[in-house]
Amino acid sequence: MLRRRTAIAAVTTLFFAGLVLSVLTHGRGVLHNDPARNIWIPDERTMPLRLQVAYNDQQVFFRYRWPAAQPHVYSDVLRYTDGKWQRQLRSPVGSDPDGIAEDRVAMMLDDGGVPEFQRYGGYVTVGANMRDFTGSGPDGAHRRKYLYATRKDPNDWYSIKDQATLDAQRKTGYFLDLWQWRAQLSDPLGYADDQHIAWYRLYDSGDPMFSTNWDADRGQPRWMFDPERAGAPALRWEDVKGGQITAGKPYYLAEDAAVPFDPAHEWREGDVIPGQVLRVPTGSRADIRVQGKARWADGSWDVTLVRALDTGNPLEDKILRDQGVYSIAVSVHRDARASRWHYVSLPLQIGLGRSANLVATRFNGVVPDWAQVETRELTLFYPGQVNWQRQLSGVHAGSKYIAKGVPVQYRHKERQVAEYGIELEFDREIRRQWWLNLIAGVLLVASFAYSVSRLLRLKGD
Amino acid sequence: MGPYHAIMVHFPVALWFVASGIVIFRALSDSPLARAFDRVLMTFLVLGVLSGLVAYTLGQFVWPPETLQSTPLGRNHMMTATWSLACWSAVLFVRWRGGERVWDGAVNRLAMLIMGVLGALLLAATGTLGGHLHGAPAYLSEIVRMAIGWDVYQTHYVPNWALGVLAVLIVAMPAVAIVASRGHEARTRREESAK
Repeated sequence: MLRRRTAIAAVTTLFFAGLVLSVLTHGRGVLHNDPARNIWIPDERTMPLRLQVAYNDQQVFFRYRWPAAQPHVYSDVLRYTDGKWQRQLRSPVGSDPDGIAEDRVAMMLDDGGVPEFQRYGGYVTVGANMRDFTGSGPDGAHRRKYLYATRKDPNDWYSIKDQATLDAQRKTGYFLDLWQWRAQLSDPLGYADDQHIAWYRLYDSGDPMFSTNWDADRGQPRWMFDPERAGAPALRWEDVKGGQITAGKPYYLAEDAAVPFDPAHEWREGDVIPGQVLRVPTGSRADIRVQGKARWADGSWDVTLVRALDTGNPLEDKILRDQGVYSIAVSVHRDARASRWHYVSLPLQIGLGRSANLVATRFNGVVPDWAQVETRELTLFYPGQVNWQRQLSGVHAGSKYIAKGVPVQYRHKERQVAEYGIELEFDREIRRQWWLNLIAGVLLVASFAYSVSRLLRLKGD
Repeated sequence: MGPYHAIMVHFPVALWFVASGIVIFRALSDSPLARAFDRVLMTFLVLGVLSGLVAYTLGQFVWPPETLQSTPLGRNHMMTATWSLACWSAVLFVRWRGGERVWDGAVNRLAMLIMGVLGALLLAATGTLGGHLHGAPAYLSEIVRMAIGWDVYQTHYVPNWALGVLAVLIVAMPAVAIVASRGHEARTRREESAK
């Protein structure tokens, strides 16, 4: 027979157990990788990147250093499998299990021509149903970054304005410069890819730095390694798998080291030839060089890019000048991830001799003494699937601040937007679970109050 | 409604924090001062719940429901506000129904103490999250993250199996109370008939 005091103690214990259970299990049971919906959540939601900027009379230098457990230097490979050549090109959902996705650091740069970029960074380039978003549809592959004013309806990817309007926008500077260093497709020849974002993510003019090695008609590579120079016409899958450089073996196929593919060669299972052939770029495409040598060591990449302050291509590059203030946003692909599975920064202002978030160091000479250059540690974050359309809509509590021009940093930290981005990928499931949890909490309190009050009314022990 | 909500929340915050102080003090002390505080406890609780209801209602109109329920901070704020209101309503109910008996013995006091402390914690969390939403984050949210691993930027929810356990607890508590009450009544009847 339960005594009153014992019953109150039991009820209190049960109530307390419910509270403890709620604390110990919160946040579980909903978030999970879901490749069918293009969802993959990184273990690390944020990552650091150290940035230094210096300039002289002619050039500007950006030095990026970021942690990476191991380098990944392959992207698109052709592999001899089951007696035939097959293209291994793919955009993995999250990390590629074979490590075939190159490391990259990219930077968008603006001089004020895209005013929203200074306040909201890369978010302004993300439209609805972008490539690799959940439910982006069969035409999602070409839905890449664009600027909103290039569309009649900013939410309709296909409503591109007429060429005369796009040209006029370009002349006013309504585009973002995009620098992209790629461990496989640009670094081996000492370049970073020079691109820009306007109505689309466009390549700068000039000869490209890579072209496909896949002969679709014949179902075979176009080029292979020169056996006399490389030691063999192809790499081996066991050397490529994992994504790292194997000592003494080439990891890229440059035009001047390639020979026409020989179909008569006795190819073996597991032979691998890079899917892109590298060549020295020309024109505006060749504006950005790697200063020194990009290096991965002790768990960290160290990459320095250099470009002329004035490239002479004002319709494709942002021209930089002493005493100017410019906005940048940086992204990093690592851990064998491609496409949208990257880390990005919030916007940062760089001042060339002027006050800004980071003041670039002016120096005399050919290369900067980095020990004398200020270092800024940025926090990069996984952005999830947050698009600009949503940010401007009433669903976003901060839309009224965007309308007033309040910068993103005023309200948000990187850790915060990373969590928001991930929760948005499971919005329906989380909201359902949250409602149930809210109701359960109320019922738990009500049940406890009813039980205790009923027991308290009993007289005696 | 944002400014009016911000004005109105001062009342339940002040009243409930004082009430939590009284509950904790009274649960730990039988001194005349503690008894004197207890005599005004009901006033604080009634005013707290009434002003809390007004503040809660105003809070529902600061943003459209879809907006408020679309962000982790908004969801967490709404949840802790709901739980705060529920918890302090429960304290009021128990104190009203139990009268002075809520302070009889260590077990009764423990039950009140748990509710008082829980109410204060929920109130602190609600206020912190409200400040966050208003653009003034406090370090308290960092303490919560380090202490119990709850990141205020993540929606608070529990998995289905935990909800199942909570459902069992929700049913079990009144079941225990009912069984004990019936046993108590039967025992009382036996004792009276024995006399």
